[in-house]
Amino acid sequence: MKSKKWVPYAFLALPLLMYSIWVIFPIFQTLYLSFTDWDGVSPEFSIIGWDNFKLLFQDPYFRISLWNNIKWLIGFAGVSVPLGLLIAMLLDQKFRGSKVYKTLMYLPMTLSFVVIGQIWSWILEPRYGALNSFLSIFGIKSVGWLSDPNIVTYSLIMAASWRQISYAMVLYLAGLKQVPKELVEAAWVDGANGWKRFVHVILPMLRPATIVAITVSVIDSLRAFDIVYVLTRGGPFYSSSVMANYMYIMAFNNYRMGYGSAIATIQFLITLGFIVFYMRNVLKKEEAL
Amino acid sequence: MRKVLFVFLVLSIVVSLLGAQKLVINSYMSDPAPKKVFAELVEQFKAEHPEIEVTVNTFAHEDFKTLLRTWLNSSNAPDVVTWFAGERMRYFASKGLLEPIDDIFDGGFEAYFPGAFKSASAYEDHIYFVPQSWYWWGVYYRKSIFEKLGLTVPVTWYQFLNTCEKLKEAGYIPITIGTKYLWTAAGWFDYLNMRVNGLDYHLKLTNGEIEYTDEGVKKVFEYWKQLVDAGYFISNHTSYTWQDAANYLFTGDAAMYLMGQFIKDVAPESVKDDLDFFRFPVIDGNIGLYEDTPIDGFMIPAKAQNKEAAKIFLEFIASKEAQEYFASNLGRLAANKDVPAPDAHAQKGLDMILASDGVMQFYDRDTNPEMATAGMNGFVEFMVYPVRIDFILKNLEIERWRIFK
Repeated sequence: MKSKKWVPYAFLALPLLMYSIWVIFPIFQTLYLSFTDWDGVSPEFSIIGWDNFKLLFQDPYFRISLWNNIKWLIGFAGVSVPLGLLIAMLLDQKFRGSKVYKTLMYLPMTLSFVVIGQIWSWILEPRYGALNSFLSIFGIKSVGWLSDPNIVTYSLIMAASWRQISYAMVLYLAGLKQVPKELVEAAWVDGANGWKRFVHVILPMLRPATIVAITVSVIDSLRAFDIVYVLTRGGPFYSSSVMANYMYIMAFNNYRMGYGSAIATIQFLITLGFIVFYMRNVLKKEEAL
Repeated sequence: MRKVLFVFLVLSIVVSLLGAQKLVINSYMSDPAPKKVFAELVEQFKAEHPEIEVTVNTFAHEDFKTLLRTWLNSSNAPDVVTWFAGERMRYFASKGLLEPIDDIFDGGFEAYFPGAFKSASAYEDHIYFVPQSWYWWGVYYRKSIFEKLGLTVPVTWYQFLNTCEKLKEAGYIPITIGTKYLWTAAGWFDYLNMRVNGLDYHLKLTNGEIEYTDEGVKKVFEYWKQLVDAGYFISNHTSYTWQDAANYLFTGDAAMYLMGQFIKDVAPESVKDDLDFFRFPVIDGNIGLYEDTPIDGFMIPAKAQNKEAAKIFLEFIASKEAQEYFASNLGRLAANKDVPAPDAHAQKGLDMILASDGVMQFYDRDTNPEMATAGMNGFVEFMVYPVRIDFILKNLEIERWRIFK
């Protein structure tokens, strides 16, 4: 029989070509633009070396955006994944109406971040919004969820987590189905209490679900954009902007395509760092198992 | 014979299809009132020019501002776009993205519009912009609230502060403002700067010739700070669009709003007649009275496909009839100098402008677009954290230096 080693490559050729044109090439294009002063309008521009990057590190609003991305990383991945696990554990019991609850908890997952942003703009509205109306029962005065620079980022993370929790929950519900009943029962017979059963038996069995949930949340928190755009556009005065929003504002509202490209480049490098770290550590271990 | 007829019929259809001119207009008139009036105007144009097939695409105002640049650069540009006179237009003209339209005015630009509009519509020696309507800015207020509290319209800064205090004591929010999209704050900056430092200074500042850390600029914020520190503005204003904030005025929770005439576009019928405006108070008696009068209109992208049809449309827009129709239905002032003010309210606005010592467009139409965004962000930051003013101005000065160097 003749060797047919070329077959997989033939199948890969077209996607690879498209990937190169629409993903790889623009990355290099952005890299190139980050060394220019292009305004995004003029036909001509000049190469200015590292100036954009130098400006970037003196720019207080870029620092705020970078810092907000870190807040997202911790808040979005660090809170929504454990909460999703908690809810999955609760809903995994059999009780009356558990299906209804599951459906309700799953619902946010079916909505896009733009829709979620719209919904939360009503919840967080300072005067008549649901949250402040609720808090006013306890005599708490109107909170500027989206206007107070100190809390606006947390409001956005809260809105985004609403969806992410249900995502983690679904992953964990599926994972819990894989946990053999006998194993848990054996642990029970051996005298392990509830907490010990959870930590030593169930949690390790949920490892694959945890890895997926955290990975997706980390990457989503780095590329956060839509919910910020819908709810605040990064405002007030950039206090809620993340790198992606700051890049968008600079490149498309402020006519600074070169500067925006520099921001995009930094964001790309950070994300790349995470991916490389993930591939080297987590995936390798997974394969070794 | 039948065959011949058939061929003839097909041919004539083909010819008429080829001959039909197309016209694509992209518009930012997304508020219901102007959208409706503009659609009616387009209908009138279609009736006059059945040979032109018109398509109007309407975009939300804030989206339009971002999208326009993409359209101007695309090979499939729209034929006519709505836009603002002044620097906002000049920026694109200087990049060669706009079509000169000097030839559409029989007898020249001045035969249609006041000479003062020419500089706002031209770049170097060409006209690129057809002004359609313009409006004045003023402090809009609820007459009924003022009457109830026995307040009279304030003329001086001292009286204005006094009015604010009395409103606050009576349980009203003195001033509403929505700064989510920043530009509303620029209105306050414009007026305070024109009242404190005068028009020449303001002009130099918007041209990038004055440092943002200048004593004059600092003085502007000292006056502004009096209002912020006293709590005369609504809280959480950064969450609101200008329309959201206008609701505070319409519900009667707030009493005043520094805004353009277009506030009437969104006012409910029940309060329209209760709304009036007064001239921004005088701060320094030695300085003239200056006003903001933004001009709205149309232009043709250099890459438009159907420039001829576009020019026919702009000729129509420049005409007295079309200008009168638009302005009178919205209560604005027509750019065409033969059109009288449409109603008593507009007459009052026009009189105020005619009695003024000079006019500007608006901060974001008078200065470089990039500077405008940075500046307006700073103004809003100041309104939330007045103590940061030195940091804010230092930052703006860095931006000014970078942009205008």
